[in-house]
This record gives sequence, structure tokens and C-alpha cells, in this order.
Amino acid sequence: MTSKSKTGSAILAAFVGTTMLAGAMTPADAKTADGKWLIYLSLSYSGNSWQSEAANIVKALAKTAPYNETVELVEVISGTDPQAQISDYESMIAAGADGVVSFPISSTALNRVVRRGCQEGTLFFMYDATVTEQCAYNVSYITSGFGENSAQALVNELGGKGKIFLSRGVPGNSVDERHTNGAMHIFNQYPGIEIAAEYYSYWDDRTTQQETAKALAAHPDVDGIWAQAGEYGAIQALLQANPDRLVPMTGENSNGFRLALANPDYQAKGLAGVSAGSPPAQSGFAFKLMMEILEGKREPLAEGERNIQYPLPWVPADAVKLCEGDAFENGCNAFPEDKVPSSFVTEVFNPELLPELSLASALDGQPTEGATIQALPADAVQKAPDAPGINCRQCEAPEDIYALTKIEPTVQP
Amino acid sequence: MTGPHPAAELSDTAAKDTRTAQKVSSTTVAVLAIYGLVAVLILASRAVSPSLGGLSQIETVFYLSAFLVFCAFGQGLVILVRGLDLSIASMITLGAILSTTLMGGSNDGLLYLVPAILLVCAMVGVVSGIGITFFAIPPFIMTMAVGIIVYSLCLGVTGGTPRGFPSPMLREFMQDRFVGIPSPVWLLGLFVILGTVLQGYSSLGRKLTAVGNNPAAAHVAGLSARRLTILAYAISAACAGFTGILLAAYSNGATLRMGDAYLLPSIAAVVVGGSSILGGRGSFLGTVGGALLLTTLSTILSALGIGQGWKTITEGLVILAALILLRDEVFTALQTRFRRTA
Amino acid sequence: MTNQLAMSTAPHSRRLPNLKVLAESALLIVLIYAVMAVVYVSVQPSALSPYAIEALLNNSLPLMLAAAGATFVILQGGFDLSVAGIISLVNVVIAVMPVDGPLGALANLGVALSIGIAVGAVNGFLVAGLRIQAIAATLATMIVCQGAALLILGAPGGYVPDFMVYDLTGSVFGVPVALVIILAVIALWSLYRRTDAGRNLLAVGQDRKAAGLSGINVERTEFFSFVWAGAFYALAAYMLAAQTSTGSPSAGEPFLLLSFAAVALGGTAFGGGRGGVTASLFGAATLTLMQKVLFALGVSSFYTGVIQGLIMILAVLFAAAVRYAVRSRRVA
Repeated sequence: MTSKSKTGSAILAAFVGTTMLAGAMTPADAKTADGKWLIYLSLSYSGNSWQSEAANIVKALAKTAPYNETVELVEVISGTDPQAQISDYESMIAAGADGVVSFPISSTALNRVVRRGCQEGTLFFMYDATVTEQCAYNVSYITSGFGENSAQALVNELGGKGKIFLSRGVPGNSVDERHTNGAMHIFNQYPGIEIAAEYYSYWDDRTTQQETAKALAAHPDVDGIWAQAGEYGAIQALLQANPDRLVPMTGENSNGFRLALANPDYQAKGLAGVSAGSPPAQSGFAFKLMMEILEGKREPLAEGERNIQYPLPWVPADAVKLCEGDAFENGCNAFPEDKVPSSFVTEVFNPELLPELSLASALDGQPTEGATIQALPADAVQKAPDAPGINCRQCEAPEDIYALTKIEPTVQP
Repeated sequence: MTGPHPAAELSDTAAKDTRTAQKVSSTTVAVLAIYGLVAVLILASRAVSPSLGGLSQIETVFYLSAFLVFCAFGQGLVILVRGLDLSIASMITLGAILSTTLMGGSNDGLLYLVPAILLVCAMVGVVSGIGITFFAIPPFIMTMAVGIIVYSLCLGVTGGTPRGFPSPMLREFMQDRFVGIPSPVWLLGLFVILGTVLQGYSSLGRKLTAVGNNPAAAHVAGLSARRLTILAYAISAACAGFTGILLAAYSNGATLRMGDAYLLPSIAAVVVGGSSILGGRGSFLGTVGGALLLTTLSTILSALGIGQGWKTITEGLVILAALILLRDEVFTALQTRFRRTA
Repeated sequence: MTNQLAMSTAPHSRRLPNLKVLAESALLIVLIYAVMAVVYVSVQPSALSPYAIEALLNNSLPLMLAAAGATFVILQGGFDLSVAGIISLVNVVIAVMPVDGPLGALANLGVALSIGIAVGAVNGFLVAGLRIQAIAATLATMIVCQGAALLILGAPGGYVPDFMVYDLTGSVFGVPVALVIILAVIALWSLYRRTDAGRNLLAVGQDRKAAGLSGINVERTEFFSFVWAGAFYALAAYMLAAQTSTGSPSAGEPFLLLSFAAVALGGTAFGGGRGGVTASLFGAATLTLMQKVLFALGVSSFYTGVIQGLIMILAVLFAAAVRYAVRSRRVA
């Protein structure tokens, strides 16, 4: 069945799409032969801590009662090639999937197959990364302002002036672009801030370490580092270059970085900053939300309303608190060094949205003993603002897209 | 592209008796020229940032290129025997994961664990070698398939999150200095000496070169081309594993994709260093020069205040310029002119 | 243009006058493909629906075209890494061209082919003219093209004409356009290999020196092999843009190793002289089909790679075994 309908009017198409979806979505009879929901977990590649933790969370939830009785979860790893994920999505639709919870490899290339899946009655829930196809649900922190907030935090630490490095993600990637644009919006307001070097670290500790070492060779006098994931590598590079000198820096949520921020030795050497960024817990939220919609406990959202914002984790140095148990309890947000690798991404937990999870869930995909699935709070869904090229195609970004939400400027430009 | 038998091609233009001498000297000149180019780049980098062009930059370049040199040595041997090793990325990952999981952050057993890990890696290389020699599977397919399998096993066994830490002693080694120079740079120096002797001046190196030049003739001469080829793949896998162990110590842990960044550069270092991709010709010193050139270039580029697109274009153009300058034809032309004027 | 070609040559290939040639070059990989297709269909009967077939062909086409291009260079003994760069560059250029309709699609095709041919010509000049090793020269052009792609489009996006997105990935009179293109390439190759240029390509790959002595212009043959390759990469990028309806500055990256794997799987020898484009097309199609088979068999998680790797090795071993059996029967 080839859709030859050329989208003359976006509104009409969206309307047709919604009605078709509503028609195809009759939750009660869309199950597998054994009466379970057929859900696919589609990953890009499981090659770093972040990816595997996000996947493990979904796997653990699917093993938690009552989902262990009602959900058949199939994990599919597609690699880094969008063509392979297109092929896998096609296969999932053909296999009669009720839902696909997925980390999409491309924000745009998957649109056609996703649209077709929606028409066939498959729910698509994307976590962290997004697609611009409006019939898919995007559950993501991307629009929550990581770039601008962390940039402001760095500027505050530096008193509004200094030489900084930008340790970016993957070239040609829309997420990296959004974060960097947000950060530059802040940095550009401060003439005293000089971007001494800008390099791509592929969201990886080791690459960050090597790239930072290269930049340090040219600028040993750097005053601060704004980093995306991989930030722990930047600390190591700084220590390698000069064991007695660290600088303020902002980064994402690795356990190594959080421990470093709280380390008094490191603070004495000059380390300060904020840990924020992408939480693996998004996948669990996406999965639970999808299940509630599938089971009819929650109304499906209208097309165009399906971009859901996940709140930005925000942990300044003085807020780092070690966990004694295996979950985020009593406001703790980091684990002792001997419990998890330094590249472990701490934000796997969310006491409100995902109380079912413990460390074993994130590390091995095991359910927490005695836990049962808790309903999401009624107000769990927070609409994300439009971000062209990220969660919508023909749309305008709001004017206050880079408005600060987590921090106030303490220095004026 | 150079012909399958560069020596034979040269004989068309040069008198037969001076052939060997001319070839040797042009190889030496080519290697020297690469190092000259590296020096020029480092000096020119002062224009980019005043902190560049000094000793600390040279130190960074040596330190970071060490990883590339270690795995490029194995790649070079495999290319010497007309092969190609695409499993390098996965073997680096394997070496790193084995070292962090087995050592588990302690120094116990370091002395036997490192050789054991290298042996495991070498055995994987032997499997690749056997597939290529005895079953005539193209090196491209065999090493790519072995790489995919090894990566997939690493992924499955670790569940995507490699645990453990490298041995503290290795970690200290990566951070220590000896007589003012980082210890890994000393290790690099030792490795380069050993590698040069092995590839250029040992009987094994000569045999490998003979096999690469002409497997049939080497066979007639009593060399077991198969055994030597398998050995080359084993060494390459072990070198990649070694790189992995050191990388894990450098960054205090293993990740599954940590080898990816070394696959293309390991091939590039070898060919920029003047080795023929068709086998039978190459020097390790040239490969080391190639690795230094690539690392120097990226150090400078990261300090340049231009967009990523322009940086990438500049990188490609500089590599291209180096390739054009380092051609045999250039050296032959220079030589002829020099002789005429003399 | 491609339609016309296919029309005029389709009856020709239906009579199969070159069965013997096909048997030598491409039959084995066709057989492997057929075996996998049978496995796939028996596990997943819905795979035979017209939609599923069309989707599979559309999914396979870009890699098939890229592998076809790579074959031209590999047949003469070269190596072309620029495939990743050219595909990225052409892909983003199409996505930023403000054109629409069938004429817009044609304009896009023209621009795509010009870029591919131009970069291919640069490669050809570097390798045949300046005598730089092919793998090194094309590595450099690949990097330059990737940089240019990033300059043109900083992140995935852009706009691809609806005509490309829907009509070029649909069917004409019940025949998928992708199939028409594949048949056209097969026809083009079986014609080309009969021309002097085609024969020279293989001769240069077999023995460069002998080819030169027998009066073949080796440099010219090398040069045009890169030009052909560039054109095919551009076509691959064009169809990729149609399938994904956007451009991405890193679109070409997955093609780098996969296109060579496809060529090798097709039985074309690295180092040159043996093989053909048709075999590479099926090599690529086999790789894409493998993704489907693995999904259908349910081995799609952590250990997928183990099966994937083993299938690649077994496919090559199978081809070698058949070749060996045929040869020993001839001797007997």
C-alpha cells in the first residue's frame, strides 16, 4: 500500500492521519496471539553506557509486574545506519507491532516508515533523540535548554570573561547543533568570553580526553570548558596536562563527573560547575506512557501535540549527594566509585515517574524485587516547544527558545 | 596507484644495476621527507597559536600518536603481505575490555594478564589468518566479519556496559614522567626501535616483504607464505589489543566503541608513510611518520578558529598536498636534477 | 533516461544470451541471494506482498548502486574510499536545491551526476595522472567532500521534491521503479563489458604491464573507472535522498565499509581483473536482505553480529566451494 497522497496541505494531512490512526487504534484487539502486547525496543547501537542503560530500563520495566504478564518485549539493535533502522521498522510493522519504543538514528530519514507505521496502527515512541514526523511521540529533554543553561552556569563561574573550549558532540547532528546554538546564544552576549577551541568529541569519554589534550597543547591557559557528554574525559585531560590545575566546567551526567564535582581536592584545584544533560530515564518514561495509552488508561494526544518534554536534570557541585542504596533516595544523585564505572550515566532514576527502578535495572535490565508498575502522575506530560528540524518540520521556534530556566545570570555582559 | 610490482616498474626507467640503490635511497628520502613535513607543520603552527610549535605540543603529538603507531605497526605488516586488517577497531575494544574486567582495578596478576590478553588477541588474528590463507577468503571480508563477531561478543558479554577499571599501576604509567618525558613516549620510542628492526632488518621482516612482493616466488624460495601471512595477522591483532590495554589505562575504563577512531587512521598512516597498499613495500619508520603527520595536523586543526566544515576540508587538502609532495616521481625528479647540476 | 535504457534492453536480457558469462561472474551470489530469500519468505510469508517487495528494493537500492560504482574501480585494481564523501555531499546538495516536480527531480539528477563525475575525475587525475596510491588519494577526497557537505548542511534536514520521494520510490505499471533501475544497471553493465573500454578495464586489472604493452591506455582506463564510480555514487545518493526524503551531512558514512563488503561478497577480486557489476549488485542486495532475515529469525539483539559475521564468511566459503567443485569436475 503506497501512499501517493502528496501532502498539499499539512493540516489536511495531519487531520487524515489522526483519523486513520484513531480508526486503526482499537487497543483491545491489537495483541499478539498469546494475548500480550507486542512491543519492540529499537536501538541505534548499544555501544556506550548511555545507550545500554536506556535499553536496560525498558527491559527491567517490561519484566516488572504486571507488564511481565502482558508485554512481549523484543529488542532490536540496528547499528548506526539509518537504512538498517528503516528496514527494521518495516519488519516490525509487518510483524504487527503494537508499539515501538526507539532511539531513532536520524531525525528525518525515518519519517516515511514511521508515518506508514502510524497508519498501520503501530504507536511510535522516540526517546532522547527525536523524529520530525508528527504522528510519532517524542519524549526528550532536548528542548529543555541544556545548552543555554549550562553555558550561563559556566559564564557565572568565570565572572563573565575568559578563554573556553567547546567540547561538542557529533558533527552534522541536530542535537549537537541545538545544544551548541543555545550555548552560543549565551556566550555571544559576553564579549569577555573567548572560544579558544571548538572540537567534536562524539559524546565519548576517551575521544573527549584526546581532543581536549590536543586543544590544551595550543591553549594551556584555558579558563573553562563547556562540554557535552564525555565530560569526564576533559577532567582527565586537564589533570594529565597539569596535575595541579583544574578549571570550571559544565558537562552531562556521568558518575565520574559528578564525583569529581563533589571531590574537595578537585574543588581546591579549581573545578566548579554543573552536571546536566541527557537522562537515560527518558526511555522508561516513554515506555510507561506508551503502555498507558495502549491500555486505554490515558487518552492519545493529538498529532502536533506529541512532543513531550523531559525535565532537564540540574546538579551543581554543591548539590551532589552520594547514594547509600541502589536507587535515588532522599535526594541523592551519584554513586560511590566502586559501584559503577565512571562512564555510568547517573540520571537513570526518577522517583516520581519511575519509582520501580534500582541500580540492577540500569546495569543489567533486572526488575526490582517486589516492585510493581505505578501509574504515571496525571500531570506527567509536559508539552515541548517546537524545535524546527528536531521535533517538527514546517514550524517556527518560539521567540524565547533560549530563555534560561535553571539559573540566573550573576554577571552582566 | 602504483603497480603490483613497483620494483619491476622502476626497472623500465632505471638501469638494472642501479635499481636497488636508487629504490633504497628514494625510500629513505621519502621517509625523511615525511618527518620534514611534520617539522614544517609544527613550526607553521605558531601562526595559529603562540603556544603551539613548542615542546609541549611536540610532547602531546608524540603521546597521542603512540596509540595510533602501536596499531598501525600491525596494520603495516598485514598490508606488507597484501592484506588489510579491518578487525583492528574491535580488537582494540577487546583488549581494553579484557584488561578492565580481568584486572578489576588491582595490580595482582598484571604480569601474566597482559601477555594472556595479547595471546587471546593474537589467537583471534590467527583465525583471521587461517580463513584468509587456507580458505582463500578475501582479507576484506574475513577481517570485517571477525571484527563484527568480536564486537558483538563484547557487546553481549558486557551487556553494553563494560565494568571494571584498569590496573592502577598501568594507569600511573600512563600519567608518569621519566626524565621529564611522559613514560608512554619512552614506550613509543622503544616500540619504534623494535618495530623498525623487526620489519626492516630481521629475517622475519625480509621474509614478510618477500611474501608480499611475490607469494609464488617466496613459496619457491622455501618460505611458507601461509604461515607468514597468519603470523602477520596475529601480530596485528596483538598490537591492536596492546593499544586497547593502554587506551583503557589512559582513559580509566573501557567503552565498546573506543577502537572505531583508529581503523581508517591506521590504514592512512601506513599508506601516507609510503607503503604500497598492494604489498611488498613499506617501512615502519614511514608509518610512524605518517601517524605523526596525522596527529600533528589534527592538533593544529583543533586550535584553528574556523567551522568544522572548513576544518575537515583543510585536513583533506593537507593530506592531499602531503601525498602529492611525497610521490616517488618527485624524488626521482629531484634526484635527476640534483645529479645534473652536480 | 534510465527508463528508456531499461525499455530498450529489457527484452534483450530476457532472452539471456549471456548466460555463460553470468554463470562465471554473478550466478553464485544470485544463488546465495535466492537461498536467503527462500529462508526469509518461509519464515515471513508476508514478505511476498507487493508492498514488502517494493520496500525491500527501495531499501537495497542505494547500497546496490554504491557497490556498482565501487566495482568499476576495484576491477582495474584500485580502491575508492571517496564513496562516503560523495554520497554525503550529493545527498545534502539535493536537499538544499529549491526545485520541485518531475523537472526539479531531473535537475537534481543532473546536479548530482555532475558532482559525482567531477569528484570522480579529480580522483582519476590524482591516481592516473599524479600516480598517488588510490586508497590514499580517495581518502583525502573523501575527507574534503565530507567537509563540504557539513558546510552546505550543518544538520540533517532540507527538502526533497515530492516527485522523487513518492514517484521514484513507487511503481510504474505495477513494476517498482527501483527494479527498473536495477535492471537498467545490469543491462548497462552487460553492454559496457563488451565494449573496448569494458574489456580494457578487466585487462588492466589482470595485468597492468601486459595491458600497457598490448596498447591499452592504462591511465585512461584508470581515470574513467573513477569517473564511472563517481557517477554511480551520485546516483546512490540521489536514490537515498528519495528514500529518506531529506539530506544528511553524514549520509555516506555507513556506505564506506558496506559497499566494499558487497563487492567482495559478489566475488569481485580486490586487486582487480575478476568480477563484475551485476555480482556486486546482488552482493549489496544480500547484505540488505540479511538484515531482514536476521529480524525474521529473531536473532536481532546483542549477538546479531555473530550471526552476521558468520553468514558473510559462509557466503564466501560457499561460493569458493562451488567454484572448486565446478573446476574439479572440469578436470575430471
